[in-house]
Amino acid sequence: MATAPGITEKFIEETLAHEQTSLWGDAWRRLRRNRLALASTVFLTLLILVAIVAQFWTPYTYYAEGIAPIYQGPSTQHLLGVDDFGRDILSRIMLGAQVSLKVGIGTQVIVIAVGVVVGLLAGFYRGFLDTIISTVINIFYGIPDLLVALTLVLLLGRSLGIIIFAIAFTQWMNMARLVRGQTLALREREFVEAARSGGAKANRIIFRHILPNALGPMIVQATIGVPMAILFEAFLSFLGLGVPPPTPSWGAMAADGFHAIRISPHIVLAPAIALSLTLMAFNFLGDGLRDALDPRQKR
Amino acid sequence: MFTRGALLYIGQRLVLIVFTAVAVSSIVFLGVHRLPGDALLNERRPDPAAEAALLHYYHLDLPLAQQYVRYLTGILHGDLGESYVNRGVQITPLLLREARVSAEVGAAAIAFTIGLGVVLGVIAAVRQNTWVDYLATTTSVIGYSMPNFVIASLLFLLFGVFLYQWTGGAVYYNSGWTGSWGTLDQIIVPGFALGFPYASIVARLTRASMLEVIRQDYVRTARAKGLTARIVIIRHALRNALIPVVTILGPLVIGIVTGSVVIENIFGIPGLGKEFATSILNRDYNIVIGLFTFYAIIIALANLLVDLLYTVIDPRIRY
Repeated sequence: MATAPGITEKFIEETLAHEQTSLWGDAWRRLRRNRLALASTVFLTLLILVAIVAQFWTPYTYYAEGIAPIYQGPSTQHLLGVDDFGRDILSRIMLGAQVSLKVGIGTQVIVIAVGVVVGLLAGFYRGFLDTIISTVINIFYGIPDLLVALTLVLLLGRSLGIIIFAIAFTQWMNMARLVRGQTLALREREFVEAARSGGAKANRIIFRHILPNALGPMIVQATIGVPMAILFEAFLSFLGLGVPPPTPSWGAMAADGFHAIRISPHIVLAPAIALSLTLMAFNFLGDGLRDALDPRQKR
Repeated sequence: MFTRGALLYIGQRLVLIVFTAVAVSSIVFLGVHRLPGDALLNERRPDPAAEAALLHYYHLDLPLAQQYVRYLTGILHGDLGESYVNRGVQITPLLLREARVSAEVGAAAIAFTIGLGVVLGVIAAVRQNTWVDYLATTTSVIGYSMPNFVIASLLFLLFGVFLYQWTGGAVYYNSGWTGSWGTLDQIIVPGFALGFPYASIVARLTRASMLEVIRQDYVRTARAKGLTARIVIIRHALRNALIPVVTILGPLVIGIVTGSVVIENIFGIPGLGKEFATSILNRDYNIVIGLFTFYAIIIALANLLVDLLYTVIDPRIRY
């Protein structure tokens, strides 16, 4: 191999390596520059740690009642005060993080599974199948989602699994529509054409060429879906149809505290702030990921 | 204002809405009667004779097909049946009365959503990448990250508790609903809590589409011929920037309908949302089915209104 003097093999390799930063490496670099998204990542990491720690240790037993005078505000023994049953609020917030994260992530797992399959079927095979799927998706967009989730939980029973199912039931179409749109656009691209003329089967085109290219928007959609699911669970709990007690849920804690808001606002404020911060972190992270993964859309 | 074609289109849509309402109530009806928590049938009562009489009274002893036909006939006559819990209470007039209360709060919420959202969005776009923009953008993320019951709690603390303490009890907000029409403060505070999260979304959308529009040639032309920035923004740019905003008015109405379930409970407003929460917890299934039918009609009408709004805002669109 003839090369110009001074250009060693090593130099070529280094140059190539430098230019070929992957999409993900690029995205990570852009995400790190976004301070809000970075702060959100740190916050969410801490939240996950708290949820894990809560499994093994909380300052007090979360369901132990009367460990301090009821309605007592924050003190050194009870950093966030105690609630209307005299239970330690900090311990309950820690366990509530578990519920919120389980609901948020669990829902998205179902939403991704259903949305990807349905979206791919509609986008890749088009035709009659697409007509049916698109109609169903549009019907789901027209229904009052929260009310359907509420009714499902009421009819099927109150448990974490059913709540996750009910929320996913009202959210799958967001992912399905996104995957369908991506698939429709990607299947017309030249590289898919090339793969097809090379004799690739539908399976291979879908899993090797279409899905990997649709992954970015899907990740963004899932990140935005998590706070929506957490919000839904909080709504259900607030209305008394969430995770059954004594398992603490932020929504239910806020609902309990609301009755005593005049005398001890800390009971409602603690879960309200925890909830808002978590939702905010997910939303900022979602925004940051969108900007990082799709620089063309950058404002 | 409407051409013959437009009227025909509206007529078609109205017929479609009737079908949607029947379809929705059928699905909920069959769902409620088929799913595990079967209506009244599974609930235990002490006296078998009384139970039989009760089931007979509500025609629940008939086969499902017959019950369904009865229900459909009722719906087509505008009769949603009778409450399972409060016997003798007819559902249609009850819901109509509550719908007016919800409409008052909902209208305030929509006014906040659109007014606040558009103003924030326009300001952020015009002052792009200044601290005003960052403030407006950050506020909007905070806005839609706060559940409406959190906003409600904060408003209640501010106006109900702190204002009471500061003014020595002279001026303060008290939740509830006096008389059949609410007073202004009874409408505005819940309306704000209901509308604020959506105002944030509207603000984001307005900002994005405004940024696109103000770079268009016709906006530059308008500026070049000597119009002031204010007039160009309001008369030329905003009108086109609002088109994507109109698109989300449909989902917005759904959001306000579902949000009202929480907000009306918090503020003690006797509207459809409170009725929904109460009847679903009481397992008053007839009212639940009726409410879903009602909501389906409201949402369908709102969507029709949105489609008609397009023609107003963009004259190229015709039906």
